[in-house]
Amino acid sequence: MRLSTLVVITSACALALSGCGSKGSAQSAAGSDTLTLGAAVSLTGQLAREGALTKEGYELCQTKVNAAGGVPVGDKKLKLAIQYQDDTSKPDTAAQLVEQFNDKGVKLILSSYGSANSEAQAAVIERNGQVMADSAGADNKIFEKGYRRTFAVLSPATEYLASIVKSIAELAQPKPRTIAFVSADDGFSKTATEGGIAEATKQGFTVLPAQYVPNGTSDVSSALTKLKGQHPDVIVGSVHLVEGIAIMKQAHELGVTPSGGFGESVAPPTPDFVKTLGGQAENVLGSSQWTETVKGKDKYFGTAQQYSDDIQAKYGHRTDYHNAEATAACLALVLAAEKAGSTDPNKVRDALAGLDTDSFFGRIKFDPSGKNVYKPMSVIQIQDGKAVTVWPTEAAEAKFVWPGAKQ
Amino acid sequence: MTAFVQATLYGLLQGGLLALVAVGFSMVWGVMNVINVAQGAFVVLGAYIAFALNSTLGLDPLLGMFVAAAVLFLFGYAVQRGLINLVINAPIYLTLLLTFGLDLMLVQGMNIAFTADFRSIPTSWAGKSLALGDIRIPLGRLIAFGVAVAVTLLLVAMVTRTRTGLSIMATGMDRGAARLMGIRARHVYALTFGLAAALAGLAGAMVGTVGTFNPAAAAGYTLLSFVIAVLGGLGNMYGALVGGLVIGLVEAWAGQYLPGTWVNAFAFLVLILVLLFRPSGLVGRPFYASRVEV
Amino acid sequence: MGTSSADVSTPARVATTTARPRAEARWRRPLPWAAGALVVLACLGLQTQLYTGQERTVTTIFMFVALAQAWNIIGGFTGYASFGQVVFFGLGGYTTAVVMYHWQWNFWLALVVSGLLAAAFGALIGLPLLRLKGHYFAIATLGVAEGMREVVTNLPDLTGGGAGISIPTVGPGAPTAYLGNDGFYILFLLLAALAVLSAGLVSRSKFGLALRAINQDEAAAGSMGINTTLAKVAAFTLSGFLVGLVGASYAFQQVTIFPERLFDVDITVLMVVMVVIGGSGTVLGPLLGAVALQYLSEYLRQHYTNLHTFILGAIIIVAVILLPQGVVNYAREAARTRDFSLLRNVRRYRL
Repeated sequence: MRLSTLVVITSACALALSGCGSKGSAQSAAGSDTLTLGAAVSLTGQLAREGALTKEGYELCQTKVNAAGGVPVGDKKLKLAIQYQDDTSKPDTAAQLVEQFNDKGVKLILSSYGSANSEAQAAVIERNGQVMADSAGADNKIFEKGYRRTFAVLSPATEYLASIVKSIAELAQPKPRTIAFVSADDGFSKTATEGGIAEATKQGFTVLPAQYVPNGTSDVSSALTKLKGQHPDVIVGSVHLVEGIAIMKQAHELGVTPSGGFGESVAPPTPDFVKTLGGQAENVLGSSQWTETVKGKDKYFGTAQQYSDDIQAKYGHRTDYHNAEATAACLALVLAAEKAGSTDPNKVRDALAGLDTDSFFGRIKFDPSGKNVYKPMSVIQIQDGKAVTVWPTEAAEAKFVWPGAKQ
Repeated sequence: MTAFVQATLYGLLQGGLLALVAVGFSMVWGVMNVINVAQGAFVVLGAYIAFALNSTLGLDPLLGMFVAAAVLFLFGYAVQRGLINLVINAPIYLTLLLTFGLDLMLVQGMNIAFTADFRSIPTSWAGKSLALGDIRIPLGRLIAFGVAVAVTLLLVAMVTRTRTGLSIMATGMDRGAARLMGIRARHVYALTFGLAAALAGLAGAMVGTVGTFNPAAAAGYTLLSFVIAVLGGLGNMYGALVGGLVIGLVEAWAGQYLPGTWVNAFAFLVLILVLLFRPSGLVGRPFYASRVEV
Repeated sequence: MGTSSADVSTPARVATTTARPRAEARWRRPLPWAAGALVVLACLGLQTQLYTGQERTVTTIFMFVALAQAWNIIGGFTGYASFGQVVFFGLGGYTTAVVMYHWQWNFWLALVVSGLLAAAFGALIGLPLLRLKGHYFAIATLGVAEGMREVVTNLPDLTGGGAGISIPTVGPGAPTAYLGNDGFYILFLLLAALAVLSAGLVSRSKFGLALRAINQDEAAAGSMGINTTLAKVAAFTLSGFLVGLVGASYAFQQVTIFPERLFDVDITVLMVVMVVIGGSGTVLGPLLGAVALQYLSEYLRQHYTNLHTFILGAIIIVAVILLPQGVVNYAREAARTRDFSLLRNVRRYRL
């Protein structure tokens, strides 16, 4: 024990001595000719796929803004620089990284992916006086806590299924009578389900009791078997990609064929959905935060179609709405800095709160709680292996195909 | 009634697939007292190999799975011979740590090499179902079940009738005595691990055909293997099959008669109860819990 | 650490920590405690030097020190490797969250109650589970942890389920003001000190001797008159109590908690890794292991954003192969026998 004791005493003295000096000043964010944003994204872990798409969105924003000469703040043009860190898909790490950005003087933050991470980050943002543009945390709960420094560019969770229900109510001939919801049990999915059930009841549909499945499961067979006996006209899934694909595959295996087909919240617009399901994905409805047919343009990215071409050119894959919402969050911060004429977080915060602008993403404006309730969600449908917008009708690029009409 | 029969059938088929995932893990643990935390990573790696063969060469996964098995056999042999053999005499959690480090490297390596996109191996036959009245039997899962049963039977035949198999079992029972009888323990251990990895690769190809996978799915398969191996019991090659079928059935029935989200809790409850009343598992040999290695 | 397997070359290892071949000078005995107190003071001093981000990192290090020490009591000393230790973490965290959210309890009261509840749970499940040995005990505890997570997810009215639960920290509903980064630094430092203190006390007491005896040969220990069941359950309960306290504090720090995170099996694995790499069965080992591993993973994550998990895995493999008995045990033995060869280490455990 003598050796160990010696080691301990020496290191203790070293630690104690380090406490005697004074703390150096916190580093200030880069030079005064750059606008530095901090982004903790999920590069590894469960959310790695969506995190990678989010990072692509942020990167494209940086490229295009700098290609246009930078952000005009006051009388200078600042170069946009985004610093990345990996939060390993864990909310507490995401929050910790926001603190570390704060230490380095980076006060303007772009959110991580998902409601859990964004919620954790929002709490820290509020305490530190930073400002965050939320690109992917849609759960309404985040905005019911009285936070004033987090602004979400995407439509809130309740809209995901409500928009699908609205599209069915508006465009399906003949109208179906019963709707069944299958929901994962995480916060975001449950909020979306609540929104969907509320809208369905409002529209006059009979809503069967919702079936809940464990989050992230690839086996939804028990929920489907239970629903098979109840013969719903439409099955709507409030789930993520894994469960979404499982619903389609297992429904096919078990012979669950509702006359009105299926709708799902997050999965159908993603390329993986069609790739893995092939023909089984046909006519599935999905809700998307953004599609290429959205109306609106801005000075950095042009129209939605132009944005889509840029992503295709830079990354070689079809644009996912996760790319678009990330770029939109970055755009919001850039425009707010320009509007405020400064990079001071309080001025940027006020500028964000008062922002009302058109963009490739649609309208970006925030209600007092920080949600973007001014941008509608789009409903897409898989037709011939492609996701095409079918609702709202002003932005539709194809006619809504109702499987129930073939009866 | 049809719902019950459907659930039972589906649960059995699912159980067969789960058994295939766990059989290698159970064998390695039973014979060598090594807990392979990287089992899930091996399964996903096998799925990626079969996927790559399918997308570049158009090879059907039923053939691709043999290639995946072969590749993983070589990999597993090398890992055991080069790494795990170095700590095999240490307390059990050291091999666990080693495989944990290996798991981190494999999962992250796959993340970088293949990205985190979800994949599935498309086939013309996996989505079809046979219909018995109102009951559906998915073809893909039926074939996976068949593969699982065939593999188990072959494994049992191998360890009871071939010299290699017998040497594996002998080394598992008493390494010191086996070495005294002239069995080269290092080689046998490596062979066992390689075989287990090959089986994981096989399972991966089947999993990729029937469902979807990405690197993050590895952890789930490892946990599953743990539960099934213990439930079935060690030291018996039928253990994984029994454990898998029980878990499949339990989850299917729980899903039917309880709210859907209670399924996993129920499965763990069953595991704990079995452990309390029959600690060596349903068909396991009690001897394996108290081996002393020389 | 289990010396019941092949290691017969150093039978005196257990003895060196309690009985010495020559009488120890009286002034030497309180030395470790003084050293410990010095470390605590030093850490307080360190706090003035850290920025908030670094402070959070060090706070996490303290948290893992406490967790690793707690695991060491049941896993290292007693040799019962529990893979479900995170169940106490989650139970402690959720108890605090639930009583603060539903009934507006004060955090300090909630902290104590959480620890006691976790301890009670430990005693309750310890009795049946500790009859199992080796791997079966490990899996059973893992099953309990995973099962508890599922149970918590499925009681949404009480625990918020998969949607998580938030402890009220602002406004009139908040029973205790949020401690802030500085406050949590001190809280976790105290918890770490408590854990190290407990481990130290256990290590030097008859209780500790009983645990080590059980580790080496449970049947022999039983026949020497040690009540093995009582000793094991007591160790498990103590470990659960400490982990429960840490979990409660963590919940308060995170404000919003989810079942997947509070019952994450990764936390247990990290505990085990830290203890084993540091040196299980010692007091210093888990401390060093926790500090080293947490600091290393943080450093890697910041500087190798894409590859950090990969590198960490490689480092763990190398560490396990070269230093299987842990750094502290290796250092002690090497100092004693003057043999620093790492290769001898490898030869000792390989096939």
